[in-house]
Amino acid sequence: MRTPSAGRARTPVDPTMRNGEPLLRVDGLSLSYRKGDGRLPVLDQIRFDVQEREFLALVGPSGCGKTTLLKLIAGLVQPTAGEIHLGGKRVKRPSRNVGFVFQEPTLMGWRTVEANVTLPLELDGGNRKRAREEAQALLDLVRLTGFEDVYPAQLSGGMAQRVALARALVHDPQLLLLDEPFGALDALTRERMGRELLRIWQARRKTVVMVTHSVPEAVLLADRVLVLGPRPASIIAEVPVNLPRPRTEGMQETPACSQVARRVREALEQVGLQ
Amino acid sequence: MGRKQLTRIGLTLISFGVFLAVWQAVVHLGGYPAFILPPPQAVAQRLVSLVASGTLWRHVQVTLKEILAGLALGAVSATVLGYLLAHSPVAERLLTPYIVASQSVPTVAIAPLLVIWFGTGLLSKVLVCALIVFFPILVNTVVGLRSVSQNLRDLMRTLQANRWQMLWMLEVPAALPTLLAGLKVGATLAVIGAVVGEFVASDRGVGYLLKQGQQLYDTPLIFVGIGTLVVMAQALYGIVALAERGLLRWQKH
Repeated sequence: MRTPSAGRARTPVDPTMRNGEPLLRVDGLSLSYRKGDGRLPVLDQIRFDVQEREFLALVGPSGCGKTTLLKLIAGLVQPTAGEIHLGGKRVKRPSRNVGFVFQEPTLMGWRTVEANVTLPLELDGGNRKRAREEAQALLDLVRLTGFEDVYPAQLSGGMAQRVALARALVHDPQLLLLDEPFGALDALTRERMGRELLRIWQARRKTVVMVTHSVPEAVLLADRVLVLGPRPASIIAEVPVNLPRPRTEGMQETPACSQVARRVREALEQVGLQ
Repeated sequence: MGRKQLTRIGLTLISFGVFLAVWQAVVHLGGYPAFILPPPQAVAQRLVSLVASGTLWRHVQVTLKEILAGLALGAVSATVLGYLLAHSPVAERLLTPYIVASQSVPTVAIAPLLVIWFGTGLLSKVLVCALIVFFPILVNTVVGLRSVSQNLRDLMRTLQANRWQMLWMLEVPAALPTLLAGLKVGATLAVIGAVVGEFVASDRGVGYLLKQGQQLYDTPLIFVGIGTLVVMAQALYGIVALAERGLLRWQKH
């Protein structure tokens, strides 16, 4: 990075203008499943880059393979063709460089909130006291201070997703993958969680790839929105979101914002959606 | 002791009292001889004499040893095989037909064979017990392991958990509720297994006492034997249930 101050007070720049290697490079990625005699194509020639500290949103019809794309980036699924590079290294297997948040709150019911958050550090065999401190800092960040010793069964959906977010951040991964993290929540909670995520992202500035169904959510949070087509999915549009940061919810009513949203919707309409 | 607990104990005592009263009434009104249906106090006397002489405890110890060894053997082998079946489709395809087929043969029918092969001692009874508890625990192990959420498996993989961490930090705790349910069923079945083994061939154990009672028309002895088995099964079930309550506290919120 050329500008040392970029981390603290990042000015709203077009991330594609940055020099150097992108943090994530997805190159000619295709995936198909064997089905009977033939093959069922899921992803077709997906190609995109994500710069460090960029927030990328993926929107597209349900079942188009967005979740699969995230799993490929995480190294959980192997592509049929193409390559993925994360931090300059080719992704061949799951790695601790990513933090994953699933659509359903995927917590371990037998662990307390705190123990769920410290899990990634425990698996690495780190110092327990340090792990607890890290967890505490993140629980403060997601505003769950005081819930350390509670079991997940007692949490609401939104709270559980905040724990999952804290867990995804605790081992300080290079890349955060969010798979419709608020998809299973009710509309009101969802909106509030969008605001929370914005605040958390502004505090931590992680590189994020987020799958979402909600166009307003994508526009409010992301630097760039990629629109995927129906199966086999390819990228049909790329919409930069040139809104200044730090963003606030009030921006959603501004003309600039509605214009971006309209462009995303138009792209989705092209493929017969919305 | 809380008020609720007192009420519960009170209710249990009342229901037991009613049971004894009905029993007494049936004996009295039916005018049955003691060798057909002994009155409660005859059974109580027999119980006291068996306890006082140490006879009952001696036989209970034998049966208890068979049950615990059989339960341990059956549970461990069923859990290990269940893990294999849940993780290897090949193993599942190869072994499932035999496992299912083995279940259509009643264990009671195999017991005489086991006595011929392994003698009339402890081993043949332990094996009957193990066989009888094997299947329910196996099924529960497989179901429990299959129910582990794919997302949690994926999460553990992205965190590069090794096989042991996968087992101890995810699979065991996630499958534990189902595993313990299987063990509860197994614990009561083990009592049946031990008695079946003793019926076939034995010179000691609670099942042996029952056989003695039948041959000597010592009906009170049979009643004491049955009661003893009920208490043993209840106690075993209770121990597993207690362990369950301690281990699965996280569910009860």
